[in-house]
Amino acid sequence: MTDRIKATTPPASTEISTARSAGSRAIIAIARNAFREAVRDRVLYNLVLFVLLLIAGSMFLGELSAGQESKIIVDLGLSAMLLFGAFIAIFVGVGLVYKEIERRTLYAILSKPIGRGQFLLGKYLGLGLTLLINVAIMGVGVSLALTYIHRGWDPLVLKIWPAILLIYFELMLLTGVALLFSSFSSPALSALMTFFVFIIGHFSGDLKSLASSAGNVAARALFRALYYLLPNLTHYSVITPTAHGLAPDASAIGLAAAYTVVYSAVLLAAATLIFGRRNFK
Amino acid sequence: MKKNALLVVQIVVGLVVAVALVRVMDSRQANAPAQFAEDPLYVKAATAKRMSLAFNGLAADWYWMRSLQYVGAKIVGFEDSHEGRMDFGNLADLDLRLLPSLLRMSTTLDPQFIAPYEYGATILPEINSDYATSLLETGIAANPNQWRLYQHLGYVYWQRNEYQEASEVYAAGAKIPDAPPWMAALSARMKAEGGSRDSAREVYRHLYDSSSDRAVKDMVTKQVMRLDSLDQIEVLRKILAAYSEKNARCASSWLDVRNELRSARFQIDAMTNAPLDPSDTPYRLTEKGCNVELSQYTGVPRK
Repeated sequence: MTDRIKATTPPASTEISTARSAGSRAIIAIARNAFREAVRDRVLYNLVLFVLLLIAGSMFLGELSAGQESKIIVDLGLSAMLLFGAFIAIFVGVGLVYKEIERRTLYAILSKPIGRGQFLLGKYLGLGLTLLINVAIMGVGVSLALTYIHRGWDPLVLKIWPAILLIYFELMLLTGVALLFSSFSSPALSALMTFFVFIIGHFSGDLKSLASSAGNVAARALFRALYYLLPNLTHYSVITPTAHGLAPDASAIGLAAAYTVVYSAVLLAAATLIFGRRNFK
Repeated sequence: MKKNALLVVQIVVGLVVAVALVRVMDSRQANAPAQFAEDPLYVKAATAKRMSLAFNGLAADWYWMRSLQYVGAKIVGFEDSHEGRMDFGNLADLDLRLLPSLLRMSTTLDPQFIAPYEYGATILPEINSDYATSLLETGIAANPNQWRLYQHLGYVYWQRNEYQEASEVYAAGAKIPDAPPWMAALSARMKAEGGSRDSAREVYRHLYDSSSDRAVKDMVTKQVMRLDSLDQIEVLRKILAAYSEKNARCASSWLDVRNELRSARFQIDAMTNAPLDPSDTPYRLTEKGCNVELSQYTGVPRK
């Protein structure tokens, strides 16, 4: 009898790994669905605008820039990549959860063995995939524009890719912020707050100098806390040095990647915490 | 179907009316852009850098292109109001009062952007050379390994006849690891014979070779033409003086000294028999054939 039980009941470790793989499959399914939804919503149409911008830039910059075409194409291309990406991360990111609630599809999803954290992670990864494809195609576009302007191989073509990677990390972090706000707020308010975080994140250097220059001890502590706790986006900003051919080194990219993973994990955990407490009855 | 056609008509008519209205409004405000074109920049460069978030490079490019457009528009405006003549040796006539702020804005937004420093070194001395030295000193502080900025600063000092300062700047630039050896040679030459025409020629030659900016190359080409014309005028004066000594009168036309001009290897204009200046414009006899000067139509700058 005991032997039969042993033979029919799977061991505890197998149960855990089966549950894990089911969880991973659920996350992947949600991510894939979020990506499909973004494609269906014509999010990638922004690429057309980007390509038109680059073509116009490549054609007319020669007339306007007095020999600085390559620098300006890199500045223009990477800045547009960041701007378009930030708009996608903000406006698509804040709708990820809200749309599911609005359409009541969330009830069907959560009635299945899928945790709310898994749902959020799946959505996050889905938008991450959309942004990755978006950024990669834009990167190819900038590389082609550089090659066209240089009438051949331009060394900047290789040097822009570390900067593109950092832009992608920044966009992933911004997606996390949008997801956090959308877990408890309306899309309009979430978009506004995420946009503020994007701006404040680029003012981190000022927060630090305020922390060191403020006379009041409490103010100093407040600014220092804000500097460390708010997402610091200044370390992702390497567009200008890249345009001069100065690519960030591997350690800078590694640290930025680690910061993105850690901070995104914090944001997703906070979003899960808030989303888990919401009552959808 | 009829409804759709009506909508299309409405769109087309609406656009036509909108274009017409814009044209009317433009004609009523024709003087407004000119009135505000010279307004000082509202935002300080440091504030603009802060406000530009991660887009400071793009903003620097924008101000750089605006600087070029500003100078270009001034030149076109000047030529329109002066029968198409513009003396590039005298840019002070253009009243480029906004240019220092535009270049300062561009370089503050992106301190590693070398082109605005080079452009400023070429144009700003015509307005106020202190603006040029200040801009270049800021550039050197931000880019201490750019020997070209030392070269430009030395050039500005040399233009001001401050040969000792020029020599020191060239010497400082020569210490940078990848600086060309002629920087040290130029430093020594500035100290020994800064004001000579040969020194000028050398300064311009190196400036031409090391710059990728078309405006700088054009300026250098014109300045070398000016030096060549100064040499030619000296020779022509000698020829005219010799003729007047020999014949007890000045030359009545260039034909009188045609042989001397040929032996001095001047290019001669087939129509007037006058020697040609470096811009291929005939020289003009003055003071009843006793002296010579550049024609008013010459492409050689006078300064």
